[in-house]
Amino acid sequence: MPEVLARRRSRVVALGLGAMFVLAACGGGGGSGNGANSGSSTDVTVWTAWGGAELKAFQDVLKPFESTSGVKVHLTTNRDSTNQIANGIAAGTDLPDIAPGPTDPNQVKDWVSKGAIKPVETALGDQFSAYISNTYPALTTAPGGATDDLYIGIVGGKHYEMMVKTQVKGLIWYNKKVFTGQAPTSFDQLLAISPSQYGASKLFCAGFESGAASGWPASDQIDNIIMRQSGDQVYTSWIQGKTKFSSDAIKLGYQTFLKEVSAANVYGGSNTALSTNFAKAGDPMFKSPAGCLFLEQATFITAFFQQDFPSLNLKAGTDFDFFAHPSMGQSQYDGNVNGFYDNFSMYNDTPAARKLMQYMATKDAQQIWANDGGTLGAIKTLNYTDPVFKRAADVAGSAKNLLITAGDFMPSDMQKAFWQSLLNVTNNPGSLNSELAHLDQVQAAAYTTS
Amino acid sequence: MGGITPDQIITAVAAVVGVPLVLLGYIILGEQVIERLPDSIQGWIRPYFWALPAVGFATIFMIYPLIRTVIISFRNAADSDWATGPWGVFANYHYFFTFPDTLTSLRNSLLWLVFYTFFAVFFGLVIAILVDRVRYETLAKIAVFLPVPISAVAASIIWKFMFDYQPPGSTQTGTMNAVLSVVHHDPVAWLVNSTTNNAALIFVGIWTATGFCMVILSASLKAISSEVLEAARIDGANEFQIVRLVVTPLLWPTITVVGTTMIINALKTFDIVYVMTNGAYQTDVIATQMFFQLQHNHNSRAAAVGVVLFLAIVPLLVVNIRRFQQQEEQR
Repeated sequence: MPEVLARRRSRVVALGLGAMFVLAACGGGGGSGNGANSGSSTDVTVWTAWGGAELKAFQDVLKPFESTSGVKVHLTTNRDSTNQIANGIAAGTDLPDIAPGPTDPNQVKDWVSKGAIKPVETALGDQFSAYISNTYPALTTAPGGATDDLYIGIVGGKHYEMMVKTQVKGLIWYNKKVFTGQAPTSFDQLLAISPSQYGASKLFCAGFESGAASGWPASDQIDNIIMRQSGDQVYTSWIQGKTKFSSDAIKLGYQTFLKEVSAANVYGGSNTALSTNFAKAGDPMFKSPAGCLFLEQATFITAFFQQDFPSLNLKAGTDFDFFAHPSMGQSQYDGNVNGFYDNFSMYNDTPAARKLMQYMATKDAQQIWANDGGTLGAIKTLNYTDPVFKRAADVAGSAKNLLITAGDFMPSDMQKAFWQSLLNVTNNPGSLNSELAHLDQVQAAAYTTS
Repeated sequence: MGGITPDQIITAVAAVVGVPLVLLGYIILGEQVIERLPDSIQGWIRPYFWALPAVGFATIFMIYPLIRTVIISFRNAADSDWATGPWGVFANYHYFFTFPDTLTSLRNSLLWLVFYTFFAVFFGLVIAILVDRVRYETLAKIAVFLPVPISAVAASIIWKFMFDYQPPGSTQTGTMNAVLSVVHHDPVAWLVNSTTNNAALIFVGIWTATGFCMVILSASLKAISSEVLEAARIDGANEFQIVRLVVTPLLWPTITVVGTTMIINALKTFDIVYVMTNGAYQTDVIATQMFFQLQHNHNSRAAAVGVVLFLAIVPLLVVNIRRFQQQEEQR
């Protein structure tokens, strides 16, 4: 957004000062710029926020499509796509043909009501039922048969976000050479494991430092507790600002989280958890003697294990592995799994856009994503060479509800206060009540002034 | 946003070439018109004519945004109506002066204002006076001045490493804790512990600013004639008395200017806090608070914070400008 504003502003400056020259320059205007005309069957414009390895994987996915279909894909990496699309919708200017759907539930509702997003049903046509049966149900089905689930783009029984990739969070990672016991099935069993029995000093490792986003790893941990402890309905209403932070359910979540980071259980005590970057949090597991037995983190963390200990040549499945987040003792909520997903929405209904949407929903296309590594596809039956992702796919497959990460869907000031509160209570557990009271205050202010 | 579009290049060229051309055209054409006017009017109109572009720029880029900010600070979040709530249209100000987070930022900005300003000027003055008396003055000055050209973001990252924390018992990679481990003291989580974190951040600020204060004060010190100091010595004053009773009073105008500049810097501190803690563990300051409000789409609250910050700085600007004027008159 600042970049856009800055560009706009500089343009205004130029306009005011060098009027004669700018008149010539302004012909193009804002908009998508890539100029695929509506109704095109040969060109499609696509925006994505991906860069680096993720972008390369997407380009790999698109290659066979371009050569077989004859459709030219105009791909742009745009990290500000939601804001630009919102502006485009408001101004009635060109939108990309295909881009990620919005994460903000209000935006989902608003864009759908304005007809800006076209249903996946329209895009996929007769392939829609195959998409539904192939994809993880948690990504395509509103819980309890509801007709709306704005978090996965379902409005009025129709789908507006097509899922292509997913990741699973809340996995408990361990060094296979150190922890040789059985995976615990309940949280109490997990807490009862004695680290000294395996030669480790503490049960858990933690690293909550992440620059300006510090606290998010802690929020993943408490999310995974609350959704399994108090259920998906409480979890969702809490994200929506309808359940207070000081409520029993959320308070219990904080208290349980504090057990994970207590001086007795966390490696190096709270100061270490707060000062350590999330990417290095798992390092003590691979030291000798081991600093801790377990680290809770999402699927992406394996790359950091390997990167931090190049000399050990760590292999997934033989040197390190994970088990799924244990039950919090409420078996009806054991099917709640924390994950995130990547989706595409169709903004212009053109033959070329439909073709690309249909292609991305196929197993062939998603298998390329799976082959390039680092992610799960949205389709249940892909093949993973990496044993960790093979098992992560099982976790995703067993999920009754794949629940989004709470902070990411809260208003941004709520998110910041939520993350920082976790840092503060880790630092000083005695401040829990005052922190929760403060969060209630922020919640009241954050959700009313949107 | 991949790469630069031809559109943007044309815009840039228009700005770079167009602006000077238009200004040149304005002056040449305007002068031709003025020259044809009667002499009495010429003398009256010419200053206005020449000042107009500058005044115009200032109006568009400073005065208009200022007025707009003040107006927005009285509006609601969506800018669709005047703000309502406690204190009526002053609702955003009510928020600023009652919400715990903003009060913390206000407290921290006061800490910055007092300690950062005092120590940066104090160390700057002491070093300027001390290095004046040694042979390796240039070398010492370079050493103290080195942090000044480093950007605040780079300095913050450097100090983040300096304050790094490792669990007790492991090798301390952060310099500060490595020093503590030499004397067998447990490592301190400098940036997490709320009794040390504000001090640690302000210290980084002082580290980057002392060199600046020293250079200005040192230049002013050189301007004091050696005869005055010799006279003081002949009258039997010791070096400490000379510094206290002769040098400091003579430097006072400069100290005021440097001090007010430091106060302004303290009030607008942003990058050090943003990079090192992002305001966590009660380290927010006013400027980070303004940024967070803006980032969270509370434009009117951000505007209110900006107005408060502006009002706090105005008196200092007035003092500074008065000082400059006095110095001009003395010359």
